[in-house]
Amino acid sequence: MTKTAERTELREEVSLDRPWVTLVWDDPVNLMSYVAYVFRRYFDVTPKQAERLMLQVHNNGRAIVATGNRESMERHVEAMHGYGLWATLAKAEE
Amino acid sequence: MSSPRRFTPQNDGDLLAQFEPIEVDLLRLATTQLLEMLDSGTADPQLAASDGIFGRLLPDAYRDDDEAAAEFRRFTATGLLERKAQNAQTVLGSLDVSAIEADAATPDTADRQPVTISLNPDAVQAWLRSLTDLRLTLADRLQISPDGVVHMNGDDMPFLRDLYEWLGMLQEELVYTIDI
Repeated sequence: MTKTAERTELREEVSLDRPWVTLVWDDPVNLMSYVAYVFRRYFDVTPKQAERLMLQVHNNGRAIVATGNRESMERHVEAMHGYGLWATLAKAEE
Repeated sequence: MSSPRRFTPQNDGDLLAQFEPIEVDLLRLATTQLLEMLDSGTADPQLAASDGIFGRLLPDAYRDDDEAAAEFRRFTATGLLERKAQNAQTVLGSLDVSAIEADAATPDTADRQPVTISLNPDAVQAWLRSLTDLRLTLADRLQISPDGVVHMNGDDMPFLRDLYEWLGMLQEELVYTIDI
């Protein structure tokens, strides 16, 4: 029992070290200008950074727009859905 | 069309927007339908979860975890739909004001004149989001595939495609006006 509990705790610690990410996916509807605008306004990045993220979405099909704990990534995803962007969250890849 | 600038920023932070009466009619019609759809989704979240267009307005937040996606939807869907409905209401409200002013300015049989709408920064945000929701909804009806090709057939298609493209132009003009 004790051992199992310790192992669970350990695993939780490991998972805490691996952050979550917010991804925005390319879609055929949203305008490039609008997507860049949303990144600027919501994530408060520079116009250059917003443009780079938007082009990543456009060219690679997706971009990681934020990294952090699960709760805040869920908040970002909800905000992106409010803007009509196609966003998901996932554990960061190792 | 050699019309004057659609959106003109004012010193107080508001925007003036110019529309032809037919454009106001179109926007009002499309936004009213959007609002009805959003309200039906709020009234029946179960239906909303299973219907195609809601899948794009409220996409799965988790791609590989159905349970987490359903949980996320349970906590966020109603609020998101309500906010989207509020945005649509704001758009309709701005259009209503313009209708009253236009009627007052053009007595009786005179041709309908272009109308000017004043949008404060909050209204601009509502417009931006609602234009997106309108285009997402139209794209679903037009069966636009990921490569952007329209697959819808039928008599309604050309009109809906024109409307979709016009709304895109409108949104682009709005973004360029505020995103200096």
